[in-house]
Amino acid sequence: MSETSNMPIPQKFRDRLNAIVKPEEVLFSVVGDLNLKGKYAESVAVFLKDRVITFDECLKEEYKVTLYSDIEEAGIKRLYGNAMFKIKTRSGKKEDLLRFSYASAEIADAGANFINVTNKKGFSPDEVEVVYAVYNKQRSFCPRCGRKLPKPGAECINCSGKSKVISKFARYITPEKGPLFFCMFLSVITTAMALVPPYITKILVDNVIPQNNLNGLIKIILILAVVYVVQYAVNGLRAYKLRLTGNRIIMSIKKDIYAKSQYLPMSFYDKISTGSVINRVNSDAAVIQSFVMKISQEAIVQAFTLVGLIVIMLSMDWKLTLFSLVPIPVVVVVAKLFSRIIKPKYMRLWRRGSAISTVLADTIPGVRIVKAFTNERNAIRKFDSFCDEWYNEDKKVAAPAAIFPSIITFLVTCGSLVIWFAGGKMVIGGDSGITLGLLVSFISYASMFYNPVNFFANIGDTYQNTLASAEKILDILDAEPEHNFGKGNIAPRLDGRIEFRNVNFSFDRSKKVLSNINLTIEPGDIVGIVGTTGSGKSTLINLLMRYYDEYDGEILVDGENIRNIDMDYYRNSIGFVQQEPMMFRDTIFNNIAYGSNQRNVEQVLYAAEVANAHGFISKMPDAYDTMLGERGVGLSGGEKQRVSIARAVLKNPSILIFDEATAAVDSETENLIQTAIERLISGRTTLMIAHRLSTLRKANKIVVVDKGEIVECGTPDELMALKGKYYKLIEIQSMGDLLRKKKEEENFE
Amino acid sequence: MPNYIESSAIKLTPRDRIFVDAEFYTGEKFENLELHRMFPITGLTKYIALVDSEGNEIGIIRDVEELMPESRDTALQCLDEYYMMPRIKRFIKMSEKFEIWMWTVETDKGICTFEIRNHITAIKPLYDGRVLIKDANDNRYEIPDVKQLDKKSYKMISPKL
Repeated sequence: MSETSNMPIPQKFRDRLNAIVKPEEVLFSVVGDLNLKGKYAESVAVFLKDRVITFDECLKEEYKVTLYSDIEEAGIKRLYGNAMFKIKTRSGKKEDLLRFSYASAEIADAGANFINVTNKKGFSPDEVEVVYAVYNKQRSFCPRCGRKLPKPGAECINCSGKSKVISKFARYITPEKGPLFFCMFLSVITTAMALVPPYITKILVDNVIPQNNLNGLIKIILILAVVYVVQYAVNGLRAYKLRLTGNRIIMSIKKDIYAKSQYLPMSFYDKISTGSVINRVNSDAAVIQSFVMKISQEAIVQAFTLVGLIVIMLSMDWKLTLFSLVPIPVVVVVAKLFSRIIKPKYMRLWRRGSAISTVLADTIPGVRIVKAFTNERNAIRKFDSFCDEWYNEDKKVAAPAAIFPSIITFLVTCGSLVIWFAGGKMVIGGDSGITLGLLVSFISYASMFYNPVNFFANIGDTYQNTLASAEKILDILDAEPEHNFGKGNIAPRLDGRIEFRNVNFSFDRSKKVLSNINLTIEPGDIVGIVGTTGSGKSTLINLLMRYYDEYDGEILVDGENIRNIDMDYYRNSIGFVQQEPMMFRDTIFNNIAYGSNQRNVEQVLYAAEVANAHGFISKMPDAYDTMLGERGVGLSGGEKQRVSIARAVLKNPSILIFDEATAAVDSETENLIQTAIERLISGRTTLMIAHRLSTLRKANKIVVVDKGEIVECGTPDELMALKGKYYKLIEIQSMGDLLRKKKEEENFE
Repeated sequence: MPNYIESSAIKLTPRDRIFVDAEFYTGEKFENLELHRMFPITGLTKYIALVDSEGNEIGIIRDVEELMPESRDTALQCLDEYYMMPRIKRFIKMSEKFEIWMWTVETDKGICTFEIRNHITAIKPLYDGRVLIKDANDNRYEIPDVKQLDKKSYKMISPKL
């Protein structure tokens, strides 16, 4: 049976199900993970044409059949951390059919909706298709391992090989293959040169000096000089090349993180602090770069040195070589132990470091608020405590990180003592064929031999640090970007007909923010969206702006689903004026021209004029060249608002959105902004969110949103006649206005 | 200002799993009220709002522990049903691949397996040793005191704190 279910039906319930119904009768099913008492257990709701069968260990006989005809209404009650499939029977009784955690909530929603529609309109295969569509949207789990996928049909990173992670960073290294190989070649030369002097020392001690051979001495000194010149010159060239290559790698990692961060959906930023993103661009990328350098250069040099040394040493004397290998197993064991101890400590240290960045990103830009609330001391205390926590964590890392290299060096030194003792005895004995020169050069080689061992023992430390950073970077690089399914789908110009069809949305599944939004806005309509704070007005706009794409239902513009329109083109067709417009650290001119292709001076001036901004800008000493500080410091709230309206004018959008554009300004500025808005909106579809209903005087349609639903919709006159929510809001505001006027008059008197 | 309800002035009777009926000392009666925690994380019995089916707040009980015994039990039972934040007693298995973690834990509600997408944002240690966890589906869990966990469990969770 090919079944539509969020998870396979548990066998114990499947057997019972097969005993009561034929498999082909089953339309779809919802598998829950809680029993009705809220304990983790298996439960199922199986939907048929005319009834739903629920299985739950808390039910009598473990199952229950409910006919749709007995149900007056079905729905999902979202509780905290779990949800309940509830029905109201025709006799008025309320019953709980199924309980589940949020994982199954959306599918259960579709099931409840199916019952309600079937009861209203009779059974229709189309409705089953609607449910299947929800399932397909939800069916984002890997068929092999069952793990949730970021989107339906996506490749499961759990089931793909480990090489995937490596290849993710390999793409930064591949373009630098040439320079890296060149540097590697140079490294081989320097390493080979470094291996020459001890051998020459042997010749010097055994053959040249004892025989008082001055010519030989000069020759050898000259050879040594040439070796040193080549070694250090090549080393210099290598360091230069390596620095450039390394910087190119880090640059491309940083660029990618930044570029990705620009395309991440708003839902990503809802869950992650901006400080932590900044930290990843700045420090984590550097950690990766240093590791790449270590692996691609140091490791190879050290490996080459190690092999070269072993070959030379074995050719000199195999017994002494074995003596020098004695400490190696101990070094390896200690390194392994160290890695196990230090990894969790590094993870914790990173979290503390990131927390400090977050506090900085929070409080430094908000320094005005800190001062206004005289909260400096608390801010300092909070920062201090974060720093202390970081320091305490660092102390835990510092001890093993500092002691370990000393232990290794100590073991290595013990090794050289062994060689001195054993080799010295052989030289004194004189019968082993080991000369003093050979011993001296052997000791030199042995000390060189421990460098690579030391390197490989210590690389665990760097590796752990890098792994922690790589995790953070992949977190961004692998995050699902905003979808642009309609890339390239561009209409000549949007007319601005907007339609919301059965739109439901929740930020985190725990609470529906918008439910059953159905709304049609004709081209050129001026629509006022009103409602109390938190009613869902701004969320409505956020969905229209495609800041969030994970909603149920459809939003159409000119009959086309907005998800299928080219994202850049679509957002460019919308002018968005926010309550607190964001200004960038740039000139006023550039702030107006921000994001616009129109950089023609006269068009910018025209836009400023339309927005009633030209007047105040031209009065500034540097006029349009005035440099704004961070977040628009240097402009008043109303001025910033007008600059942002000028931005919208310049864009020449088909659809305009004003989100409380005049909420934070005085009456006079409000008038200036109002006239600017009125000039701008003519002939464009306009949506205005407003608290002050007076700002909606031009609106020909009012939408009242309450608790995430549209409760009233019509012309202002119609709604006034309805005497509903809108009427009440108008009444309250006019009372407020009257009081304010009265107060103002009293003050004047 | 919120309407605070004196603990002696109200009687709660159970209605449904998560609903109660309330009767005030004044004789005023309300049916089908839900109890909502104002501080679901930091105040489990304190500042509990009574909300009607329209979402309107009838009033706030400062501490349900101070209600009359029967009302208190009703309230606590309803809160327990409404708020599901299983307490993790032990970590059974923790596997990770490419930063997606699969945790199997034993909670006071039974054994469950869930997925953690990003342990940096999903795990929130509080100062008193409590740890709050939110899985990929936005379900919530808590570790009441991380130091009280057995050695093996602590070893598993501590690098993520």
